[in-house]
Amino acid sequence: MRNTIAWGAAVVASALILSACGGGTAEPTSTDAGPGVDNSGIELTIWVDANREPAVAAAAQLFEAETGATVVLVQKNFEDLRTDFIAQVPTGEGPDITIGAHDWTGAFVTAGVVNTVDIGDKAADFEQVALDAFSYDGQLYGLPYALETIALIQNVDLVGTDAPATFEDMIATGLAAGTDRPFVINVGAGGDGYTSYGFQTSFGAPVFVQEADGSYTSEVGMGGPDGVAFATWLSENGMAGNGYFSTDVDYDINQSLFSEGAAPYTIQGPWAIGTYTDAGVNVAVNPIPSAGGGTAAPFVGVQGFYVSSQSQNTLLANEFLITYIATEEAQRALYDADPRIPAYIAVAEQVASDPIVAGFIASAQNGVPMPSIPEMGSVWDFWNAAEAAIVSGADPESTWLQMIADLEAAIS
Amino acid sequence: MAISRATKTPATRLSRWWAEVGWKYPLALLVFFYAASPLVYVVSASLAQRGTLAGTARLFASISPNNYENLNNTAFWSWVVNTLIIGGSTAFGAVLMGAAAAYAFSRFRFRGRRTSLTSLLIIQMFPQTVAFVAVFLLLISLGRVTPLLGINSTVALICVYLGGALGANTFLMFGFFNSIPKEIDESAKIDGATHAQIFWKIIMPLVTPVLAVVGLLAFIGVFGDFILARIILTSEHNWTLAVGMYQWVSAELSANWGLFAAGAVVASLPVLVLFLALQKYIVGGLTAGSVKG
Amino acid sequence: MSVRPSHATTGAGRPSPAGEPHSRQWRGLGIGFLIKLLLMGIVNALGVAVVLAAWASESWAILGAMVVIVVVVDWIYFSKRALPLKYLTPGLIFLAIFQLFTMAYTGYVAFTNYGTGHAGSQTQAVDALLIQNERRLETSPSFVLSIVRDGDELGFAIVVDGAVRVGSPESPLTEAPDAEVDQAGRVVSLPDWEVVSRAELLSDRGLQQAVVDLRVPVSDEPEDGSIRTREGSTGAIYRSVLEWDPDAQTMTNVDTGTVYSVTDRGRFEAPDGTQLPVGWYVTVGFENFTRAVTDSNYSTPLLRVAGWTFAFAILTVLSSFILGLILAIVYNDPRVRGRKFIRTLFILPYAFPAFMSGLLWRGMLNPEYGIINEFFFMDAYIPWLSDPWLAKFAILYVNLWLSYPYWFLVCTGALQALPTETMEAARIDGAGRWRTFRSVTMPLITVSTAPLAIASFAFNFNNFTLIYFLTEGRPRFTDTSAPLGHTDILISAIYQISGVAGGRADYGLASALSIIVFIVVGAISALAFRQTRKLEEMN
Repeated sequence: MRNTIAWGAAVVASALILSACGGGTAEPTSTDAGPGVDNSGIELTIWVDANREPAVAAAAQLFEAETGATVVLVQKNFEDLRTDFIAQVPTGEGPDITIGAHDWTGAFVTAGVVNTVDIGDKAADFEQVALDAFSYDGQLYGLPYALETIALIQNVDLVGTDAPATFEDMIATGLAAGTDRPFVINVGAGGDGYTSYGFQTSFGAPVFVQEADGSYTSEVGMGGPDGVAFATWLSENGMAGNGYFSTDVDYDINQSLFSEGAAPYTIQGPWAIGTYTDAGVNVAVNPIPSAGGGTAAPFVGVQGFYVSSQSQNTLLANEFLITYIATEEAQRALYDADPRIPAYIAVAEQVASDPIVAGFIASAQNGVPMPSIPEMGSVWDFWNAAEAAIVSGADPESTWLQMIADLEAAIS
Repeated sequence: MAISRATKTPATRLSRWWAEVGWKYPLALLVFFYAASPLVYVVSASLAQRGTLAGTARLFASISPNNYENLNNTAFWSWVVNTLIIGGSTAFGAVLMGAAAAYAFSRFRFRGRRTSLTSLLIIQMFPQTVAFVAVFLLLISLGRVTPLLGINSTVALICVYLGGALGANTFLMFGFFNSIPKEIDESAKIDGATHAQIFWKIIMPLVTPVLAVVGLLAFIGVFGDFILARIILTSEHNWTLAVGMYQWVSAELSANWGLFAAGAVVASLPVLVLFLALQKYIVGGLTAGSVKG
Repeated sequence: MSVRPSHATTGAGRPSPAGEPHSRQWRGLGIGFLIKLLLMGIVNALGVAVVLAAWASESWAILGAMVVIVVVVDWIYFSKRALPLKYLTPGLIFLAIFQLFTMAYTGYVAFTNYGTGHAGSQTQAVDALLIQNERRLETSPSFVLSIVRDGDELGFAIVVDGAVRVGSPESPLTEAPDAEVDQAGRVVSLPDWEVVSRAELLSDRGLQQAVVDLRVPVSDEPEDGSIRTREGSTGAIYRSVLEWDPDAQTMTNVDTGTVYSVTDRGRFEAPDGTQLPVGWYVTVGFENFTRAVTDSNYSTPLLRVAGWTFAFAILTVLSSFILGLILAIVYNDPRVRGRKFIRTLFILPYAFPAFMSGLLWRGMLNPEYGIINEFFFMDAYIPWLSDPWLAKFAILYVNLWLSYPYWFLVCTGALQALPTETMEAARIDGAGRWRTFRSVTMPLITVSTAPLAIASFAFNFNNFTLIYFLTEGRPRFTDTSAPLGHTDILISAIYQISGVAGGRADYGLASALSIIVFIVVGAISALAFRQTRKLEEMN
């Protein structure tokens, strides 16, 4: 898989770039705007979610002290940020900056709500893949700070640290562990295509067909025999089959089953680790095993900051991002607040010694970037619903093909 | 009337009592079970050690104040205060405006009286879920003039709620006002009382039960509203309970079932207290008047 | 018939006005008038304050509306006429601003294509397209940049290969040999130009905007691009690929020469049919309405949704009414002791906020881990929320739990308000309990509760909270591409279509559907009211 190589190479190359590049030539000297500046009338509004609020607040404090501007942090649900940003920026009431995921870029560009970002020479401090993820049609639209992906998480006390090579191996080991379930995965009543995507790609059924350079076309790639093979597999492991996938298991239940040791394996992201370790589970993180023979490539998402196209404080917004967020201290604080793989190379290297982070990095190296084309917005609804239907016992082939047809009709 | 005759034996009296009255106690127990079991479950979940749904399926398997203590680490208490302020103000405004309108409809004869009363009710049926675009734009324009009425202002949210203060409230009160005999205000009028004096000094004290009911309904309405509050109140410390607590269980990446349960227990207390305090009015207030529409 | 509510005679502790002696003094121009003057003074002062603020912020529509409101309010409260309006006006003002306006605006949106890809005005779309198509030259390095000023004219000074160059939008970059540069490579002073300090830049929002918008051409050749800065301390060379001609309303790609002109759908389109990505919203006439009815992607599932909406609204009112009525009759019996206590226990669910109940029941009904299956069905596997019929049943059951206390209270009140003379007359006539109930109690209760039943029907017709928190409309229809499900009611379907929850937003269509739903519910309710009015005794 082309992409796999690209991602792997990028992570490795980033270390080289770091050593080669000792820092930008343009060293912004914001400090000469000392504390005496009367800037009290200017407010910079930033939307954040609860997880990242403390870290952004820390960076904002420094910014406020040095520039005299006031930073207003507005906390929202991460899921609401995307729609609210699209709805509110055109009214003039939106924020200057919002936190967001890279796959929103296409929708933001189409809605005309996002400004371009130019981080100049600081680009070398970031993983190239992270910058690529926030690029759309050759322009950079966001300042990345973290990569995230999901991986196989296993209970060391039950099944050791060895990574199972295939889904069958994992189930066999899981059954041998004698727990309630050999493996638990979040599906929920609404379906969760994201979490199962690693298995899906191992059947060779990506959401959209990729160009040679890794960029996505709007051609749906998960139809055809490979997609049907995945759907059939899903059905066999669904509630009409052996029941490893169940719509009764939502995020909450998944967390509690794994924490209680009722299942030795699950697929989750770094955000879930805290719950497990708090419950006293000894975890190891490994790449997702293959179910269909190919590499299991989960989505890799990149998180970052967007600047509104209607901001009245564009200059300050850029100043905040480039001078106060694109720094090692701020990026480290963001990592500490929300432990995902840092997009800032220096911080990534600091934390890579942690075996859990290393496990997620290994999984990310197998991964593919989540498409950022606007068509992706339409995919989730159909895709998740079809997954939930198949897991709960609907005919896999017809449900899957119907979903493909509906999806193609919706995005055409 | 159950008239027991001396000729009946105690046994038949008992079976008669059972047939007429006694069976109502076990039935009450059954209904109580239906009404309260979910609430018992919430209390149990709120006391559970670990705050997950799957971990709470056994009632009172563990007792721990963890979840309640954790409420202090969130903005929960400011949400409670906000909700009480917004709910209280809305209830107060709704009662005043509704009562005034009901008085006009009940005591004055004017053209289009019936039609306007029905129109008020029907206008309330407009589905608000999509009107948020309009509400949002309206508040943005108002906010430019005075920030007090802009986005993220509790005053603005109260005003939006008061926009729906007429309608069902007026209708409920209208019936009740009609049940107050006209002769009362007519005799006051003969004594030289103005319409305002009649309204404030004679009618209002008489209609207290329905005022209590309308106030309570308005309060509960605000308590449960989600969409408008979510759109208007943007910053976390301004949220109401509905917006804030929904976030605990909706956010994909958080398992806060126990926190939610603890919050729900605490949050239902003010409503419960109101209910108990106003109980003597509620039964009388809800329909007493509407027999005579 | 004239029915006095039970409380009127039992109003504990309140002086009964009916018993007031006729000689009571009603003062004409007393405290009441003073209070009125005071209140009107406050209203006028607030009104004038808003008018002035509106003037200052140039919000003419609000200014006009406020003037009208103040004048009308003054007229109403100081004239002897318009008596009913004195009591109706406060509510009506709020109604007009916050309810009627939003309805009218939703009506307007229904005639536009507002939604994904058409989210703002044309100006915003043009801005966005220009932003997106101004690209940094791949060969451009980053320059250390200073902002310089000559009177009103702003310019940039940069250092290229050790030489200082300065320029403004009017005059392309030229060498400035006598400039002074500090250690960081930043220009600190220049002949003829004043260097703007960073402190000044950061404290002046107007200056910031001007700096962000400033483009200094690199040379006389537009092809070479121009210098811009984003944060005021570094710059790079950019070039615009698109050119906007406001007179001709066209966008031209300067590289390919393709001309994009405005379409009546709110997009820029080239002769070959390709479109620029950002659009704006325009009015599209009745298209949204015809689409709602004719597009089989929407109309077929929406018909099913409408069917369930009616079934749900009717069944839920009926079931909770019947349960409430039965309980009210059973416990409206003076022989039952502790009735007050029993009533309090019965109305417990009513004290629990609706949104919490939805979420609570959702958890309790989880087939494998929820307490309902675990506790009541011996751990059996019953897919309450994922089977179409069971989910519908679950919704009705949960809503019964939520709303029977309301009807219990209403019916208890209605029973207690029944004219005792009528009841006694029936009893004396020898009517049995069942007969009395059927021919006296029931009709009276029906008449007295009918308006509330209609209101309850309308409320449940739009009971978004319950559906959204309990099932989100799931399970999904499998035979249609619309993102709707078996338990969606019209209002939640509209929410789904509006795209607030994610996916493709279509506010135009959603607004059109709101209007249609409103007309349907409104018409049904109006008819129902007319029917009940026939039943009632009219004055």
